Amino acid sequence: MSRIRLVAIVFLALTFSAVLFADFVAPAPYAKQFREVPNAAPSLKHLLGTDDLGRDSFSRLLYGSRVSLLLAPAAALLSTLIAAFVGGSAGYLGGWFERVALAATDLSLSLPWLFLLLTVRALLPLNVAPVTSVVVTFALLGVLGWSSSGRVICSGARAIRESDFVLQAKALGCAPHRLILRQVLPNLQPVLSAQFWTSIPIFIIAEANLGILGLGVAEPLPSWGNLLRGLENWPEVKASPWKLAPIVALIAVVSCFQLIFQKRENLAS
Amino acid sequence: MSSGENILSANISVDYPGKKGVLRDVALDIAQGEILGLVGESGSGKSTLSLAILGLLNLKGGTARGNMAFLGRELTTLSEREMRSIRGRQLSLVLQSPHSSLNPALKIGTQLTEAWKAHAQGSRVQCRRDILSALQMVSLLDGESLLNRRPSELSVGQAQRVLIALAILHRPVLLIADEPTSALDMITQSEILRLFARLNRELRMSILFISHDLLAVASLCHRIAILKDGEVVECGSTEMIFNHPEHSYTRQLIAALPAAPARLEEVVVYSR
Repeated sequence: MSRIRLVAIVFLALTFSAVLFADFVAPAPYAKQFREVPNAAPSLKHLLGTDDLGRDSFSRLLYGSRVSLLLAPAAALLSTLIAAFVGGSAGYLGGWFERVALAATDLSLSLPWLFLLLTVRALLPLNVAPVTSVVVTFALLGVLGWSSSGRVICSGARAIRESDFVLQAKALGCAPHRLILRQVLPNLQPVLSAQFWTSIPIFIIAEANLGILGLGVAEPLPSWGNLLRGLENWPEVKASPWKLAPIVALIAVVSCFQLIFQKRENLAS
Repeated sequence: MSSGENILSANISVDYPGKKGVLRDVALDIAQGEILGLVGESGSGKSTLSLAILGLLNLKGGTARGNMAFLGRELTTLSEREMRSIRGRQLSLVLQSPHSSLNPALKIGTQLTEAWKAHAQGSRVQCRRDILSALQMVSLLDGESLLNRRPSELSVGQAQRVLIALAILHRPVLLIADEPTSALDMITQSEILRLFARLNRELRMSILFISHDLLAVASLCHRIAILKDGEVVECGSTEMIFNHPEHSYTRQLIAALPAAPARLEEVVVYSR
């Protein structure tokens, strides 16, 4: 394992540990306001200062990271399951079903994904409870983000369908459900796994995009997306560069995912 | 040797989309306990015939016309469910490439268990006993240790034997061996040919041995059918095909042998 991948793994492990134990690590609850010190500079009490409502920025970053880092895998799981079902069935069954499923996938791929995401999210109610906004945002990511994975999985399933070992299993009289469970899924597992892991950083960035536009996770619940909204006022950011912490964290985490799972994706392909 | 009673009588034609007449009125009879060799060049339709008999032509988009009577049942009229109950139990297949025919993701034990469960019900002990017996039958005496290995951990000869063990697990009446020795070195090839001959002798299993290697076929088979461009151009006993070939293509095949034996007696014969 290269040194840089090791560093990335350690960084992600530390980040995940910190956000999982945010209740203990964070100096204050994410919504608690210190009204006497709004927009404070970093200090021992507030490591990244406070926002304009006096909330501790470090605590909000930790809790925001938790929302993004835990729900992006959930969205990735949902999209991988949909992709596995549509792409896997299309590739394995072949024939007209494959043609219809691939046409639907191509249609979905031809639409600008982010634009589609923004449109669909904007069509849904915006004034919802924070927890509902989390569920809606990541369900939307999962439901709309399966198509490229679906194509890759379809191609993998097609190769398995045409393989000698599936022909051999059919010639031995194995039942269709046993073929799927024992012949197809174990051989698709590396592709599914690669699609899952590579989807996570994509969904983290997609949530950030939605959040910046006010279509993601709703306040007061923090996420990387709505924390990045604080960067809209550039002169203020220039004067207080510690406010860049959310985007630095986002770039670092996404880069680490890429470094770790690039190789896995190559292996799977 | 055959007992004379036919277990398979086929007369079929096969078309693929955009390619008509891949097989044209191919008539074959295989008797109980007989080894029939099917020889032909690449693309002559040998593998298509094996898929047609197994009812798996749809995998390649092909369609079969004609009739195939197997143990008194007309295969062309059977449903997929009925065909599945025959495949692996009465009619089995061994493919050419042993490593690609075994699932790379599953241990050998799991693959044999899957094949056993396809047609048998019973305890784990019973399953294991049948599996070890099949492995022993194909001369894999260290069966226990093999069960925990993956295909990539086997030599090509071992993998081919495992493949044959999978195929004979339920003691089929007819084993279709589709170029089972093409991917093997000479020594392993000879061992596998001996194995087929022994299975034929001991289990009275009929074998349709498909190959383009005329010498291998001659060493094993009681009769040989020569397939050319989708048609059987000649069919007869091994002695007749070698000593008195009638069709020009058969004569060409024999003349093309790398070191053509002057007489059949010079060919190592495993089955007689």
